[in-house]
Amino acid sequence: MTTADDVRSSPANAWLLVARREIMVKVTDRAFLIGTLVTVAIIIGVILAQALFAGRTQDVTLVTTPEAAQLGAVVQQVADADDDLKIILNEVADADAARAEITNEAANAWLHQDGEVWTLTTKSEPESSLESVVALVVRQQVLATNAADVGTSIEELEEGTTLATAFLEGDTERAELAAIVGFAFAFLFYIASLVFGITLANSVVEEKQSRVAEIIATAIPLRHLLMGKIVGNTVLAVSQLLLYAVVGLIGLAFTDYRDLVAEISGPVVWFIVFFLAGFTLLACLWAVAGSLASRTEDVQSTSVPLTMLVMAILFGALVLDGTWQTIGSFVPPLSAVIMPIRLLEGDATWWEGLVALALLILATLGTVRICERIYRRSLLQTGGQVSLRKAWAAEE
Amino acid sequence: MSLATIDLSRSFGDIAAVDRVSLTVPNGLLTGFVGGNGAGKTTTMRMITGVLAIHGGRVVWDGHDITAADRRRFGYMPEERGLYPKQRVLDQLIYLSQLSGMAAPAAKRSALELLERFGLADRAKDRVEKLSLGNQQRVQVIAAVMSSPIALILDEPFSGLDPDAVEAMASLLREHADRGVPVLFSSHQLDLVDRICDRLVIMARGRAVAQGTADELRSRYPVRHRLVLAHDAGWVRDLPGLRIIAIDGTTALLEIAESGAEQALLHQALARTQVLEFAPVIPPLSELYREVAA
Repeated sequence: MTTADDVRSSPANAWLLVARREIMVKVTDRAFLIGTLVTVAIIIGVILAQALFAGRTQDVTLVTTPEAAQLGAVVQQVADADDDLKIILNEVADADAARAEITNEAANAWLHQDGEVWTLTTKSEPESSLESVVALVVRQQVLATNAADVGTSIEELEEGTTLATAFLEGDTERAELAAIVGFAFAFLFYIASLVFGITLANSVVEEKQSRVAEIIATAIPLRHLLMGKIVGNTVLAVSQLLLYAVVGLIGLAFTDYRDLVAEISGPVVWFIVFFLAGFTLLACLWAVAGSLASRTEDVQSTSVPLTMLVMAILFGALVLDGTWQTIGSFVPPLSAVIMPIRLLEGDATWWEGLVALALLILATLGTVRICERIYRRSLLQTGGQVSLRKAWAAEE
Repeated sequence: MSLATIDLSRSFGDIAAVDRVSLTVPNGLLTGFVGGNGAGKTTTMRMITGVLAIHGGRVVWDGHDITAADRRRFGYMPEERGLYPKQRVLDQLIYLSQLSGMAAPAAKRSALELLERFGLADRAKDRVEKLSLGNQQRVQVIAAVMSSPIALILDEPFSGLDPDAVEAMASLLREHADRGVPVLFSSHQLDLVDRICDRLVIMARGRAVAQGTADELRSRYPVRHRLVLAHDAGWVRDLPGLRIIAIDGTTALLEIAESGAEQALLHQALARTQVLEFAPVIPPLSELYREVAA
C-alpha cells in the first residue's frame, strides 16, 4: 500500500504529463517513425538526384590533326572553365587517321579545316555541348584574325555592344526557388495538419469511447487534458517540420543552390513560427472534432468542416495572388501559410509578418478558449454524436 | 468525513433517471449499491464523481458541498471497461496515478504490488489490448485504488471476474474501507453484496427505495419463524396472535403478531406432537430486494 505522503492533490503540471504521454506514444509508434524516416529519405533523395544531375560532367574526346591542334587546345581550356564538359585531346598524324578514330569510336568528334571552313565531324549524332564550345572558340579565333588583318582588335570592335541586365522584381532563380520552397511548406503544413489532426481527433474519441476520459476527468481538470494533447502534438509536428527543414537546408548546401541557403534560412524561420501558431489553432479544432464524436467512425463526419478548412489553406496558398494574396496573408488561419510565402518571395516586409503573426496568435488564443469550452462540455457526453450547438450550450 | 447525496436528481429529456436520491456512504464501510438495469445507479455514481452534470440536489463530502479538488482524490471505475488499448499495463498505471498526484517511483511500486496481488505481475509489460477482458478489468480496478483515494466509487467492479478474482477484489475493497474511506460499489450479484457489504442502498426507478445495514433492512419487516412438527400443522391456523404466511403439511411459516403468542404456540405444539424445529427465518437479500423494489 502507498502512504499518504506519496500522494499529493492534482498535480499542477498535469498537462505536462499528458503532453509527455502523447509524445511517448507517438515516438514509439512504428508507423510514425517509418513515415518520418521515409519523408527524410525522400528529401535527401530529391536533393541527391538534383546534385547528381547537375554535377555530372561529360567526357568528350576530340581528335585533331597537327594544324588544328592549337585551336583544339583553346577549346579544351574554354571547356575546362565550365564544370559540365571535359575535353580529352587526341592528336593524330593525318585526316585518314582522324576519320578512323571517329569510325571506331575512339573519339567523339574531329575538328578540322575543310577549305576555309572549320568543321566538326562526328560519326552520326551531333555533340551539341561540344559544338557550342567549338563554335564559340572558332568565332573568337576567326574574328581575332580578321580584326588583326584590318588593323583593329576584337575589343575595339565589341566596344559598347554588351547589354547590361537589371531586375526590377528580383531574379528568376530566386523566385523559382521561392515558389518551390513555398509550395513545399504549404504542402508540409497541409500534410502535418491532416495527419496529426486526424490522429489527435482519434485519440480524443478513443479516450471518450473507452471512458478513460472519465477516469482522467476525476483526476485532473479537462483543460489540462486538452492542453497536454495539443502541446504534445504541436511539439511533435513542429519537431518533424524542423527535422525536414534542417535536412532540406543541409542538403541544399551540397547543390548548386548553396548560395541561397543563407537567404532562405530567414524565411524558413518565419515558416516555422507561423506553423507553430497555425498548427496549434487547427489542433484545437481537431480535438473538438474528436470530442463531438462518440465513436471512431463518427470522427469522419465531425471533421468534415475541418478537412475542408485545411484544404482551403493549401489552395489559398497555391492559388491566391495579387491583392487577394495580400488579404489572405493577414487572415488567420490562411495567414499561417500565405504570409511566410510572401515573406519568402520578398513581397512582404518584416513588420507585415509581425502584424500577421500577432493576428494569428490572437486568433489561436481565441480558438483555444472556445474549443476548450466545447471540448469540456462534449467529452463526457455519451450516446451519439454531439452537435456543436448542444455542446456549447450544455451545462458542465 | 463521509459521502452523501441530498435530493440528487438528473433527467435525460423528459425521463427522470435519478429522482431526489438521498443516500449516505459512511466512512470505513463497504456500501453496496443494488438495483435493476436502468434503476439509476450509474447515473448517480457519475454525478457523484462529477462526470455528469447535476440537475438538482447536491453531493456532500465531509459536511460541505463537494468540490472539484475533493473529487480529484476519488478513485473511480466507470462501468464501461477500457483503458488505452495500445499502452503497456505498467506504463498506463503509472501515468494514471501520476495524474492523481503520485510521484512516479511510488506509483511504480504501488502498481507492481497490486499487479502481483491480482496475479498479473508477468503481464506488466504487455499492451492492455493483449489482456483478457477480466484481466483488463483488474487493471482498471488497480488504476482506481492505487493512489490511495479518499473515497472509492466503483461501477460493477465484480462483473466478469472469476471466483478467485472476486475474493481478491472483495478483500481489496475491505482493506480500503478499513483504511477509513467510504466505498460505494454497484453490483447485480445480490448474494455477493449480502456477503461482503456493511451497508446497502437499493435503487428502483430512479429512487433510493431502501438503505441501511442488512439487519436494519430486515428489521423493517416482522420476523418470520418456521415451525416444523412431527405431524400435520394445520391446527396452527386457529391460534390467536399469529399471522400465518404458509402451511405446507408439517411445516408452517408464520409471523408473531402479538408478543407471547409464540409461547402459547409452543405449549400447544408440545402438547399435541413433537416439535422438530422452531427458528426465525432470515430472509435472503434477494427477497428483501424483491419486496422493496416491487
